[in-house]
Amino acid sequence: MTHLRWGLIKQQMSVQFLVRTMNPLSLGLFVIQPAVFSAVGMLLSRAAGNSTPDLVYSVIGGGIMGMWSGLVFTSTFDIAGDRRNGMLELIVGSPTSLNLIESIRTFTNVLSGLFSLVLAFMAATFIFGYSFTGVNTWGVIVSLLLLLFAMWSIGVFLANFLAWSRLSGTFVDYLEMPIAFICGFMYPIRVLPVWLQHISGAIPIRWALEAMNESLLGSFDLKYLTIHWAMTIFLSLVLIAITTWMQVKVHDKIRLSGELSSI
Amino acid sequence: MIDKFVHIIRIYFAEAWLSYQGRFAITSPFGYIAGKLGFPFFLMLFFIFMGKYVGFSDPLYIVIGNILLIPASSGMGGVTLAISDERQWGTLSYVLGSPAPRGPVFMGRAFYYIVDGFVTALLGFGIAAGIFGLDLSTVNIFLLMICSLLIAVTSSGLGFLFGSISLVTRDGWMILSTFLSFLYILVGVNFPVASLPMILQKLSWGLPLTRGIMAARLVMEGEGWSSISSLITGEVLVGLVYIFIGYFFFLFLEKRSMHSGTLDAM
Repeated sequence: MTHLRWGLIKQQMSVQFLVRTMNPLSLGLFVIQPAVFSAVGMLLSRAAGNSTPDLVYSVIGGGIMGMWSGLVFTSTFDIAGDRRNGMLELIVGSPTSLNLIESIRTFTNVLSGLFSLVLAFMAATFIFGYSFTGVNTWGVIVSLLLLLFAMWSIGVFLANFLAWSRLSGTFVDYLEMPIAFICGFMYPIRVLPVWLQHISGAIPIRWALEAMNESLLGSFDLKYLTIHWAMTIFLSLVLIAITTWMQVKVHDKIRLSGELSSI
Repeated sequence: MIDKFVHIIRIYFAEAWLSYQGRFAITSPFGYIAGKLGFPFFLMLFFIFMGKYVGFSDPLYIVIGNILLIPASSGMGGVTLAISDERQWGTLSYVLGSPAPRGPVFMGRAFYYIVDGFVTALLGFGIAAGIFGLDLSTVNIFLLMICSLLIAVTSSGLGFLFGSISLVTRDGWMILSTFLSFLYILVGVNFPVASLPMILQKLSWGLPLTRGIMAARLVMEGEGWSSISSLITGEVLVGLVYIFIGYFFFLFLEKRSMHSGTLDAM
């Protein structure tokens, strides 16, 4: 059984890498778009009269932006493609659950997005001379792992959300910028109005990202980091619970109506 | 001569009407509003807070620039889609097999995109006045409308170019999207062109939109025609260059495809 699951994971990841990651769209999402956003941040800083840009937010934040854009669009295209090509019914009808397939696909998409973050770190280090001196390395590593977990939980939620209803596609397409905006991907959350900071508190990415940025800036405040990590885990688990609950409801509905493609 | 002119005009508006029916008439209000104003609005907010963090003290500069980019994106995207969609749906060979002149066929399809972008930009200015306190009391609205419309039209030349590129590659839309994102840097949308490194400044002056956006900014500051006439003239000239390059590139590809018969297969 375990062997079969590993086979499924390996095969799904392999197909997902080939279909979704190795194409020009991914190049745009993971490399070009983050580079453009980073350039805008640095040039805004230059226009404001600063001699050096803020590397953590402008450059590494660009990498986070790339991860997020990649995740939103690849997850969206996965389900939209399945629906358009008439594969969604076949996947739901197969012994392997849609949730599991989406979990593996999303995991692959998150790992692909990591490429964007690695590039951003490399650009910050080798092009702009970012120094890791004083950085809370363990804080960064733990925060990064939790950030990946948070992105995965949102990705699984969005992917299933799209499977539940075709109308949701219209909504998900426009999630990219609002989430980036209220979670402070390229600026600290404190520059937002307080009411927006409260709204962003419901999104797990925001907490992991704040912890990672503070660790990169040299914070060793364990209480601050622990609270942020705990919030990330809690909110991610809430999303996973909602996804599982909704999936059971939708599957029950499908069994009664037999109408997956039209819901 | 007059008959031929009337024929071209008829094709232009027939294509415009068909394009409207095919693209806009089926759009849901939520999808339309979210697509038109949602993404640009949140992107603009994102840039505003990026600017706020680094100490860029003029958020209205970013607001105006991003609103002016809406008609440009619409004009470019409209023409590119008009060409690339034919290929995607496998109907390009029928269009190219018809005797209708290509200019009015594809430019006609961009008509509603240009009008749509223009109206959205004006709406954006109204919304910006309400939300960000953009002062429109000293603005010559007629001149602002001319600038917005000009930006939409001149950018359609680039649309022709990218539409033609989409004939030789399946990633035409992707290439256009990438180019559109570079416009956030190159044409003075988020910060003055003078803030760019010198080589990028030169590139910026060679693109449509740069002068149009600059002229619109002057109008927003209360300047009149005399202050913007040279910028408008430059924008028209640069736009015409791109329209001609795009159009002749399209004709070149069409001619080449007639020899090889491989247009849809590329």
